[in-house]
Amino acid sequence: MFSVIGLVAVKKKVAEILNSLRKDGRRELMEFESKQVLAAWGVPVNRTELARDLSEAVKVAREVRYPIVLKITSPDIIHKSEAKGIKVGLSSELELRQSFGELIDNARAYKPDAKILGVTIQEYLPPAREVIVGALRDPSFGATVMFGLGGVWVEVLKDISFRLAPLSAEDAREMIQEIKGYPVLAGIRGAPQADVNALVDIIQTVGQLVHEFPEITEMDLNPIFAFDDGKGAVVADARIILGEIK
Amino acid sequence: MSGEVKAIFEPKSVVLIGASDGGGRSVVSPAFFHSLVHNMLRFFKGKTHIVDLGGKLDGAIKNLNLVPKGRDLAVVVLPPKLVMKNWQKLLDRKVKAMVLVAGGFDRQQREELARGVTKRKVCVLGPNATAGAINPARGLCATLERGLMPSRGGIAVISQDGAVGTAILDRACFYGVGVSKFASTGDGIDVTEADLLEYLTRDKETKVICIYLESVRDGRKFLESIREAVKKKPVAVLKGNTERGEGKRDRIFAASLRQVGALQVGDVEEFLGVADALAKQPPMHGDRVAVVTNVGGPAVLVADAISREGLALARLSDKVVKKITGKYPDINIADWVDLGIGAKGDQYKFILEQVLSDSGVDGAVAVNELKLSFLEPEDVQAVAEAAKKSKGKPVVSVTMGGEDCTLVREALRGRDIPVYDSPQKAVRALGALRSYEKTRARVEK
Repeated sequence: MFSVIGLVAVKKKVAEILNSLRKDGRRELMEFESKQVLAAWGVPVNRTELARDLSEAVKVAREVRYPIVLKITSPDIIHKSEAKGIKVGLSSELELRQSFGELIDNARAYKPDAKILGVTIQEYLPPAREVIVGALRDPSFGATVMFGLGGVWVEVLKDISFRLAPLSAEDAREMIQEIKGYPVLAGIRGAPQADVNALVDIIQTVGQLVHEFPEITEMDLNPIFAFDDGKGAVVADARIILGEIK
Repeated sequence: MSGEVKAIFEPKSVVLIGASDGGGRSVVSPAFFHSLVHNMLRFFKGKTHIVDLGGKLDGAIKNLNLVPKGRDLAVVVLPPKLVMKNWQKLLDRKVKAMVLVAGGFDRQQREELARGVTKRKVCVLGPNATAGAINPARGLCATLERGLMPSRGGIAVISQDGAVGTAILDRACFYGVGVSKFASTGDGIDVTEADLLEYLTRDKETKVICIYLESVRDGRKFLESIREAVKKKPVAVLKGNTERGEGKRDRIFAASLRQVGALQVGDVEEFLGVADALAKQPPMHGDRVAVVTNVGGPAVLVADAISREGLALARLSDKVVKKITGKYPDINIADWVDLGIGAKGDQYKFILEQVLSDSGVDGAVAVNELKLSFLEPEDVQAVAEAAKKSKGKPVVSVTMGGEDCTLVREALRGRDIPVYDSPQKAVRALGALRSYEKTRARVEK
């Protein structure tokens, strides 16, 4: 995955990010922070920038380029869609200006005492098949990686697979093929295959991350957009939870 | 683990310590002590020193201090209170290993035991190792059940629970399945499943390792010891005490076993059935299974099971078909080879040998039904003969029906052919031989 020298540098960088968050006494990383960790570790994420107010948002959106995704950013709001804190596919500054205030209002209505840092401006991703990669610590075996398709597949059908970390590419591939919904990724009714190799990479890289950093107790990359074969896969939302601070 | 596991299984001399009066009111019945005395005297090939702290047993040593020092193994069948009372004396005998049979030690007592273990470098199995340790090759039958001594064979069994372990041994005796080593780990304050795996991986008599466990101690070490074992021999695991709800931890456990190449089984019957095949037959190098039968119907069920197991029916080459029909023109060869109800041993042997020589065949199921045919139990020897020459292709035998299967099993007792009483079990055994082959290729990478 990384060269030896590369790995040392990357480990240092991720450790720095995690340490600075721990200094704040926080255990739950916000989306943009989780994505910083993932990006530093080499997991593909969509560009995600924090904007504290409207004028910053307008500036950042020009850099990220329209269309964009707008998400509320608060350490007190974990389920952003529940708080009506997400706008997808804003295509102009006008739409951004209208949505910004609305998002803040929604968040205040959802949780009046929430500390709101602002919003994130994110690169818009075209529709793709959605998957989930998670990580947890099993009481007997430690770092464990989870894989499943998004939505009802995981929530209702519990169609998920597990492997202990670190894991080989073959383990990761088996994990993907093992779920009942695999035909969805392999391509049904003439649809092309999703980029399974890119998913194998993400699963393996995530496994390496939780293996190297025992302070990460839980991770939820949900959703990951899996594009057609050869076109990659990108993490669209992410949550990292750190262990008890000692 | 502080000492040598070897001393548990391969002692030259054993000190058996119990109390014929039961040590007052206790959890260990004196009858268990008497069973152990019986087992040691009847089977053990080395020297047994019997110590009776109750003082009633004729010829037994009555004082621990009179036991010669430095023996290999002490089997202690005393209640917790008496073990603790005599703990320093026991340690002073400087045995290499100890089996603590009784359970019921409280936390403080277990900690005191553990301190002694670390300080005096003795290897301890248990406490609560209620089914003890067995090694048929050495005549070691250090178990509470009187006369429970399996025949020698390739299956090693590790059981956290004594009663489950004893039930597995009893089945092994009943079906004539040979055992290499047995140990019950109980509370595992010292010797763990991982330590035993390490020993059994090196043990030449052991062809397959079976583990029954209810809880995992030191998960990663346990898995690593399985990964190392699987490079040399198959490992089958039966897990009890599963979750009642969503079962996430069970799924993680199953995935982790898969990652290190262990085979997980669902119950005791599958456990022994699969282990018997893994101990006696070579791994299967492909999915194609030939079915040779003396009656039609049961072969249909075998074919169904083959498909369910993810295996495939083999198609014989023209050359082999010609060879068979050249000699026996009435033989029907389609999805399976139907010998017909008149087949006898010599014919059976010739045809099975031809089938196994076909490069399109990776393994075979021999269906031997006695009722509604003229096959005699002795004719089934042909299966063992042909299998012996099969050059790395596994063969299993199935006889549906109760009495018939017992007859076939008796005829093949001591031969290296696993015998099953249902198509499902026979094909599952081949499936295990196939999956071990795939696993081995994987872990060796």
